[in-house]
Amino acid sequence: MARSLFPEKLKREFEARREKNSRYSLRAFAAFLGTDHSTLSQILRAKRPISAKQVRGWGEKLGMTTEETAVYVAAQYVPDASTGRGQERLRHWTAEAMAIVDDRIHWQILRLLHSRSFQADCRWIAAEIGTTVDQVNLALSRLLRLRLLEMAPSGKWRNVMGRGQPTEAQFRKLALIRIRELAAGDGIRLRRPAIA
Amino acid sequence: MKFQILSKTPDETARFYSTLFGWTVSADNPLGYREISTGAAAGIQGGIWPAPPQAPNFVQLFIAVQDARASVKKAEELGAKPIIPVTALPEGGELAVMQDPHGMSFGIWQPK
Repeated sequence: MARSLFPEKLKREFEARREKNSRYSLRAFAAFLGTDHSTLSQILRAKRPISAKQVRGWGEKLGMTTEETAVYVAAQYVPDASTGRGQERLRHWTAEAMAIVDDRIHWQILRLLHSRSFQADCRWIAAEIGTTVDQVNLALSRLLRLRLLEMAPSGKWRNVMGRGQPTEAQFRKLALIRIRELAAGDGIRLRRPAIA
Repeated sequence: MKFQILSKTPDETARFYSTLFGWTVSADNPLGYREISTGAAAGIQGGIWPAPPQAPNFVQLFIAVQDARASVKKAEELGAKPIIPVTALPEGGELAVMQDPHGMSFGIWQPK
């Protein structure tokens, strides 16, 4: 369902008036609303934002109840679908980056891969690291999403970062670079100064 | 086909649904995956996996296929994007997680 904003409501109202009277002008509509033609024109063409005060005042002139105008005022603050999706994607990639920065478990899992006693078993990994199986699984999923770890058949898990066994600092740096690359592929630009 | 509930509180989710519907939940496997047995002959079985903190709780469908890699390739040709590439499961079989062209995630599962 398309987001119904007050300017769209105004357009529909104006068109309805013109259907009754083809000579009804935008100037007349503006005068009815108590504004000038230029302001109304810019608002209808989305060249100028509409204020909450204008929504309430013009809504009242159009015979709307205060509850109805309150809905339009609230809708002004809701991001449109495209903006909303962009915010969601930014939240996702920022969260992935924060998890890498904040939680050592990702590097701890990769370090365990080089252990002679490694077992491809999240319960064993959790016990070795001293955490829960759920935390291991969250980190494992993230490592797979970021293409930093590969689970091959026969329990052969491997670090696919291409650098043998990285230090923790090297891992974080490479992981954050990977996140930035994947985010860029998703249309999200993570600023370099924030993600070293 | 199987369903997968991704939950930020997987134990609580398991408790809620098993109490409500009499499901059996077992995590006795190398992934610690909470496998759900509904006990019903009709319908599909499923499981519970922890959801990342940035995601809401949601349900994914995992569709069983004969060849996961071929299905992933076809999905990509149709506009889907891989979230998790084809990955071997510790007890056999493979899975991948994709995002369909409209942003919904789904799983591709090749049983062992």
